[in-house]
Formats: sequence, C-alpha cells, structure tokens
Amino acid sequence: MTDAHSTVGAVWKLESARVVAGLTRMVHDVGLAEELAQDALVAALEQWPVQGVPDNPGAWLMAIAKRRAVDHIRRSRTLERKQEQLAHETHEVHEAAEAAEAAEAPERDDVLRLMFMSCHPVLPTEARVALTLRLVGGLTAQEIARAFLVSETVIARRIADAKRTLADNGVRFELPDGADLAARLSDVLGVIYLIFNEGYSATSGDDLMRPGLCLEARRLGGLLAELAPDEAEVHGLVALMEIQASREAARTGPSGEPVQLHEQNRGRWDPLLIRRGFTAMLRARDAGGPPGPYVLQAAIAVCHAQARRAEDTDWDQIAALYDALIRLLPTPVVRLNRAVAVGMARGPRAGLDLLDSLTADPALRDYHLLPGVRGDLLHRLGRYKEARREFQRAASLTRNAAERAFLERRAEEIETPETDGPTLGEAAEAFLARDDLDAQTIRSYGQTLRRLRLGLGDRTPLASLTADQVTKVFRTAWGDAAAKTWNRHRSAVRSFASWADLDDLAAGLERRAEVRAKPAALEPAYLDALWSRTDIPLRERTLWRLLQESAAPVRTVLSLNVEDLDLEDRRARTAKGAWVTWRSGTARLLPELLAGRTRGPVFLADRRPAPARMPAEADLCPETGRGRLSYERAEYLFKQATKSLDPTGDGHTLRSLRSRP
Amino acid sequence: MRYLMTSLPSDTAREPDEKLHAEVGAFVEELTAAGVLLATGGLDSPTMTTSRNGEFTVTDGPFAEAKEVAVSFALVDVRSKEEAIEISRRFFQIVGDGTGYIQQVL
Repeated sequence: MTDAHSTVGAVWKLESARVVAGLTRMVHDVGLAEELAQDALVAALEQWPVQGVPDNPGAWLMAIAKRRAVDHIRRSRTLERKQEQLAHETHEVHEAAEAAEAAEAPERDDVLRLMFMSCHPVLPTEARVALTLRLVGGLTAQEIARAFLVSETVIARRIADAKRTLADNGVRFELPDGADLAARLSDVLGVIYLIFNEGYSATSGDDLMRPGLCLEARRLGGLLAELAPDEAEVHGLVALMEIQASREAARTGPSGEPVQLHEQNRGRWDPLLIRRGFTAMLRARDAGGPPGPYVLQAAIAVCHAQARRAEDTDWDQIAALYDALIRLLPTPVVRLNRAVAVGMARGPRAGLDLLDSLTADPALRDYHLLPGVRGDLLHRLGRYKEARREFQRAASLTRNAAERAFLERRAEEIETPETDGPTLGEAAEAFLARDDLDAQTIRSYGQTLRRLRLGLGDRTPLASLTADQVTKVFRTAWGDAAAKTWNRHRSAVRSFASWADLDDLAAGLERRAEVRAKPAALEPAYLDALWSRTDIPLRERTLWRLLQESAAPVRTVLSLNVEDLDLEDRRARTAKGAWVTWRSGTARLLPELLAGRTRGPVFLADRRPAPARMPAEADLCPETGRGRLSYERAEYLFKQATKSLDPTGDGHTLRSLRSRP
Repeated sequence: MRYLMTSLPSDTAREPDEKLHAEVGAFVEELTAAGVLLATGGLDSPTMTTSRNGEFTVTDGPFAEAKEVAVSFALVDVRSKEEAIEISRRFFQIVGDGTGYIQQVL
C-alpha cells in the first residue's frame, strides 16, 4: 500500500520541527542542527525499509540525531582540546553529556524558539518563509520550490543563505523578552499569514489556490496557538485563516473561475472550519487586550461567516470594523477593502469617493483589484461604459489566468453600444507603428504609452481622453521621478497628442527644470596622484591637463586643431573665436603629443577609421590618417583610469576635471 | 487532504482502563494541537434506512456482522495519505490490535 520511503517522509513531516528544535538547543546552530537531523532522516530511510518502522519513530529520529550531535560536540571539543590542557577533559565530556541529557526531553518551547529564529527580522521576508517551511513545516526544498513556482536551487540557496545570516548575526536560540516578544511574535504571524495568502490567492500561475500552503500555514498557526496561548493576536490569525479557508470550496466555479464572496454558495462553506474559527475567536477574546489587526480582520471574517445569505451581511458592522482596522493597518489593500465595505454599507457613491482617493497611490498602480472594485461600484451606479473599461483594465493587470478570464467576462457581460472612433489602445498601436520613428524613440514612447494604457484602459475612446486623466496617471507613475524622466514622458505625450490631433493632453503637466548637478571638483591631492601616474598614455595626460588648466568645456578642447594652437602664448583659438588657455603642465606635454604635426585634430583616435565610417575631412589628421578622438572614448578612458582612485569604484567624468574646487 | 478514519471493534484490543483513556486523551490532544484532528467521536450501532421501489424501510441495528460496524471515527486534515496511515499506526499502538479504514473525503 505504502512504501517505507513515504512512511519516512510522513513521519518526518510530523516530527522534524521537534527534532530540529531539540538539536538546536544542543548545538546552538540551526544550520548544524538541521544537518544532523537530516542525517537521522537518511538513517531512517536506510533502516526502516529493512527493520520496519520503529514503535516511536519520533523518539527514534531524535535519538539518532542526538547521537550524531554528541559525536559532533566531542569531535569539535577534541580539536579545541589539542591546544588546551588535558585537565579540562573530564569537564568537557561531562558538559557534552549534559547537553545530550538536555536534548533527551525537548522543552515545550523549543519549537517556539525555532519559529522565532526562522522568522527573525535579520532575514529577508522570502528567506523567513522558506526557512520556516523547511525547519518548522518539515517541507523539502523541492516542495517549497513547487509551492512558490521557483526552482529548487533558488530555495536551497535561500535557505543556506538564511542559516548563514543567522549564524553571522549571532542570532540566539531563545525566547524574546517581554518587551520584544510582541514585536517578534508579529514577525512570526506575518510569515505564517504570508504563507497562507500565497496559498489562498496565488499571485501568479494558473491556479487560484494552492491548498497545500494554506494547510501548512494553518498548521503552523495552530502550533503557535498551542505554544503561545495567551496571545490574542495568535488566535486572531488562526481564526482568520480558518474562516478564510472555510470558503475554499465556494471560491471557485466549475471551470476554476473565482466566485466573489457575495455570490458564493454558502452551503459550500465548510461549517467545521467556521466553527473552529469561531472557537479561536473566543480564545482571542479570552486572552483580552485591545483588538489587534489580526483579531479585527478575523472579526470581519466572522461577520461574513455569520451571514446565512449574502444579503444578510451586516455591512454596517463590517464598515465599522474596517474603520478601526485602518487605524492599525493603513495599508492600501485594507483601504481598498474598506472602500468596498463602505460601498455596501453606505452606497456605491460613498465607496467610490473612498476609492478615488486611492487611485493616486503608487503602491496600487498595478493592483488589479482597484479597477476591479471600481468597475463594480461604477456598475452599481449605472455607469456601464466606465465600468466595462475598468474591468478590462483590471484584466490587463492581473497575472493570474483564472482571474483574468473572470474579469474579461465581466467586461463582456456589460452590453453598451460601441463608441465611435478609435480607442486609446488602437491609437497607441498606430502611433508606434509609424515608420518615421527610430527604434529608440519607439521604445521610449512605448514606455510612456504603456503606462497610460494601463492607467486609463485600452478601450477608453481616444476622443474622451482628457488632460486631467493624463495628469493623474503621470503623478501616480512619475511623481517622484527625476525631472529628465518626467520631461521625456511628457514630450512623448505631447508628440502623441499632436499626432492624434487632440488638444494638448500634457496641459496639466508642467515641464520640470532640469538642474544638472555640477560634478564635485577633484581634490588637489587627487590630481597630484593622477599626474604622477606613469601608466597613462601621453594623449590622455595632455588632454586631462589641458582640461584642468583651461577649464574649457570638454567638447571645445576635443575640437581643437593643431593649426589653432599658439604654443608660445599657451593659448588656442576655438572655432567660435574664443580662447582656450593653459599653463606649464600642458605646455610641457603638448609639443611631444604633436610630434611635428602641423594640421588636423590635436587629439587623435587610436586607429584609422574604417572606410565605412569615414569622418569629415576636418576631423581627420592629414598626416597620420587617424580621426579625431571622440567624447565618448575620451570619457570612457578617463572613467577606466580613475576607477581605482574613486572610493565608489565608478570612476570620474571629464567634467570633474574642469571644475574648480 | 481530509480523511475519515474509522476503526472497527475487535477482541484483541486493550481493555479500556484509566491508563488507556489517558493515553488516548494525550494522543487526541496532540493531534488537535498539530491541527490534524478536525473531529472525532464514537458511533452507536446504526439504523439502516432502505428505499426499494419507492418503499421506505427502517431497520434498527445491531446487525449480525457486528464486526463491520464502525465504533469510532476521526476526521483528520493531513498532507498526504501516508500521514493518515501513520496516525492510524500510532492509534493502534495505543489501543491494541484492530482494523480500521481510511477514506479520503472528496
């Protein structure tokens, strides 16, 4: 029926958290503890198929792992002892035995300590998730990778890095003190809820849900609730997850499409899980204290669960709970949900007002639920055309295939007469398909228009486009961008508007002044170091000296010709009639650089130009046939040469040479 | 995955005493804490209802094959069938020999 290998796997999942936690207490290193535990797992895989599954598999695994741990401690002690006196020996061995003794009866809090460790704030969020699933959930790297749709290597590396980070930061295997506990506990809760949500509303991929992750998260939550029974928020999170999970079967229709809460068949809600959720809520209430964010969210979930029919939902109560929640958790998503609740409790107009204050939030720029909800409210207000555009926009923003299909269908269901004239999407395509634009311009314009299309909807009739709408999208997308970026997008819009023969769509967008920061001047000591370098070719040394001594623009200096130079007076006349002057440093180098040349560019390229790229005659040296040194090349060489001297490692620009300190 | 686990009465099971109650109690508590156990309970002998050619009959148990009547059940939520089997194995380790069924709840 079942082979020994899958039995080992099942037992491992049930026991690994305790084994790893007990070992961590022994060896004080979660990475090592996990390795030792894995050794025990390998031993089980070897022995159980032959000898049968032991009576108490958990204890068996723990005993093997513990033996390896003691061996390990002895070995490392032996190494240390070689430098120490033998007198310590008895004491050391005694200590190892004591540690082994301690691991015999793992403390109840060991697993809790392990959770605090794997959700430690020194780790990036992704690492916390992976490590928790691995150490506490007993999942393999492969299982975690499959759940998050990334490769196994990525997860393995993430876990290895996380263990190293914990060790490097000296994170201890201990329970945080009273003051710290609440904060650290909320880190743990955050990780569990993240796992749950990844399972509950898969952010990408073809499935709407990955039930395995939901179960794992609920399991972790239940474990935490047993370990920290006095914390209301823990029970709040458990309640929230149980009730959300209770809707699992009702959340999708026959073809996998999402079914919204108010349209779900409540008969398919799982009463068992709802009851468990209610029980957890009671425990949260018994724990006391002011309601935290999880308790409030759970209370909202309870409200929904209590309504037998969608129309029985107590929206006033839910809106009030959101009013409280928003003070603790003013995230864009909570604000969005609050707008939905208010839309139900106080009418779509009120909901829309709240929602429209959110549309300018950059965090929600690409969040498909925003136009989705907006479409809903507009639909209820009878503004069908706008509603349809919002649904289409939402569909274009979601990465989840099931959700996209659902939103597209909602848009199609709204029957409105087709509007005359081209839509924004069509016009943008036609604009970009012109053949008089070069590739770079198309790319640049494309970026601007893509943002406009995502922000306003592809189906928006071109004729209805207003400068106000454009301004809004701009402020959301590029409000904080550099002036240069802003102006580039702005001119793209102006170009598009004039092509489409529309009023100036950029009317609300002011051109921003581009201040070019003057590069920091190089220190005299730095310059001295530069001049004393012997590995720099003559041409570069001369150019840099000249730039520094003349303070003339780089392009002017590069455009100098030999016949313009007056070496006696240390000056040259430029094409525009101005003078470039220099001092002794350049004067020493110039004659050598010119090497008897009488005409052509002062600064020459390294090679002769290829026939196909022959420059104008004025830029060619009649004697050597080489072209004029280009700005780009000169800049590159300077950057390369100064990289080693620049603390940021980027190198300097030629402009920094001409700046006076 | 949800599984309904039922166990049949047997002659070879341990005599129920306080120790057994305590051990089973601890086992149930552990499974509950781990989020595995959703519901558990015992079952009285069944009442059978039949509808044949539209004629509805009610037959009270016990039946002749009392051995095939479930006496206790557990509804568990586990990651795999192997986990359900492992739980069953541990259950029989506590209560003594017997027979059980494991059926996934679809």
